[in-house]
Amino acid sequence: MKPILTAKNLTKSYAKGILALNKVSFTLDQGKVLVVMGPSGSGKSTLIRTINGLETFDKGELNVLGIKIRPDSDERKIQKVRRRVGMVFQQFNLFPHLSILENITLAPIQVQKRNKKEAEEYGINLLCQMGIESHAKKYPGQLSGGEQQRVAIARSLALQPELLLFDEPTSALDPERINEVLDAMRRLADQGMTMIVVTHEIKFAKEVSDQVLFIDSGKILEISSPEVFFSNASHERSRKFLNQIN
Amino acid sequence: MNNINPNLNTNSFIKIKKFLLSKSKYNFCNFIFFVISISLIFNFLTWIFINSNWKVVTSNLNLYAFGSFPPDQQWRPTLWFFSLLSITFITVYGPKWNWLRKNLIFGWIGTVPLGIYLLNGGLGLNPVMTRHWGGLTLTILITSCSILFSLPIGILLALCRRSSIFLIQKLSSFYIDVMRAVPLIAVLFFGQLLIPLFLPVGLEIDRVWRAIIAFTFFVSAYIAEDIRGGLQSISNNQIEAAKSLGLNKHQINIFILIPQALRVALPAITNQLIGLFQNTSLMSILGLMELLGVSRSILANPEFIGQYIEVYIWLASVYWLFCTIMAFVSKKLEQKLTINKGY
Repeated sequence: MKPILTAKNLTKSYAKGILALNKVSFTLDQGKVLVVMGPSGSGKSTLIRTINGLETFDKGELNVLGIKIRPDSDERKIQKVRRRVGMVFQQFNLFPHLSILENITLAPIQVQKRNKKEAEEYGINLLCQMGIESHAKKYPGQLSGGEQQRVAIARSLALQPELLLFDEPTSALDPERINEVLDAMRRLADQGMTMIVVTHEIKFAKEVSDQVLFIDSGKILEISSPEVFFSNASHERSRKFLNQIN
Repeated sequence: MNNINPNLNTNSFIKIKKFLLSKSKYNFCNFIFFVISISLIFNFLTWIFINSNWKVVTSNLNLYAFGSFPPDQQWRPTLWFFSLLSITFITVYGPKWNWLRKNLIFGWIGTVPLGIYLLNGGLGLNPVMTRHWGGLTLTILITSCSILFSLPIGILLALCRRSSIFLIQKLSSFYIDVMRAVPLIAVLFFGQLLIPLFLPVGLEIDRVWRAIIAFTFFVSAYIAEDIRGGLQSISNNQIEAAKSLGLNKHQINIFILIPQALRVALPAITNQLIGLFQNTSLMSILGLMELLGVSRSILANPEFIGQYIEVYIWLASVYWLFCTIMAFVSKKLEQKLTINKGY
């Protein structure tokens, strides 16, 4: 298996003395699903956001899809990463002034310079996969949270990414709407998409993930398979965390 | 109440308060107010319909509309008015076809060169000197040209003011702050008197164009601030989402930030537009024959001397009508953007 992502000693501090990331190192192989768990403020969002350059880091090195990112890497290099890595946010972050289809085709047309017709066909195809093709001409404000999040997934897929990042994709949803989004993610995992998912959904993590990464105070406390993590976590802090969210 | 102002708590204050709030006195006050307003309205209407002489307006309608534009060529500004009216009508009541909605903006932009071409002549039309432009035609031309030029400049200034490049950011802040600290009339004087001095010999910019340049300088600073407000209202999430899709800075500005900022700033920009329309009347001080300038020259005519009340009431209603139309169109536009996009 070839590693798609390697992080070496990533360190980041917001204010002096407080470390958001503390020597974080891990690798992710192609086709694997990594679930990141941890209490709030533990640095899990920071970790996932450094991977596509939404956050900078102070020390260490990242290798994403063969592109080496260092703290002093310039914007252009980071943009190269972003074109091959998709991201789905907690708050969906759809563009409210664009229709659903325009949301999806904006990046393929502007970034990849694909022609409009082709991009639209591909966009409709993605919406079909997500089961929301009937909304193509609507605007984000007219959709429910679950539908918006599925549009956001389709939008991140439009660039045909090799790695998908999910930053708490179901945390802003009504409980009833969570499953439709998780199902979509499950299908992606089945298709062999490499994914990093920050989530509190234990059932999803148990069923879908290949590895669980537990982080607290910016430090990775444990990386293990879901079977081990959920039944027999090695670190006391992770056991305490699991007790609290169960 | 007791703690706020002890003086208010005296006996006399309570008595007055009781008097004003008791029901019979309350009705009494209402009655007085009613009688006064009725008599005011009655006097005003009798003056309008009986005592006034509207000949000063009716016999000069042509002047108000076109200034001293050659009579045989007056179909040109009339045609322009009609094109403006029809595009306004289409914007507000037109069909909801997507391609029409998307290209309407180009129609609006197109009205300005069309107006300049029709007024100025050339290319098959008889040329007409700008000193013959006047009246409502000139007022609308100055307004529409200035707004057309100051919108893109304003957007650019707003973006520059948020730029990460120190020099660009400071320069644009400096420009905006200076323009907002100078009264409009000073900028207009500057445009009329000083621009010719700075230009090389032989190059001359016409009075009307100097006015448009001065208005553009002034209004773009205000529009820049309105748009900056709109830009600030867009959450950082939008920028992050766009970045994560691999869009670069310019693409984020063009496709994500500016459209949303314009939507937010629309009411404020309308405000500027209405202000600009009214401020064109300042040009009469500088000798342009726009609406107010024409009125002043009519009042100087011995035939109509002293009839300033009629003229100014007429002028006020013309300004009122056009400002109301602008506010109405903007309100409709706002509603359309809101309903369609479910903000």
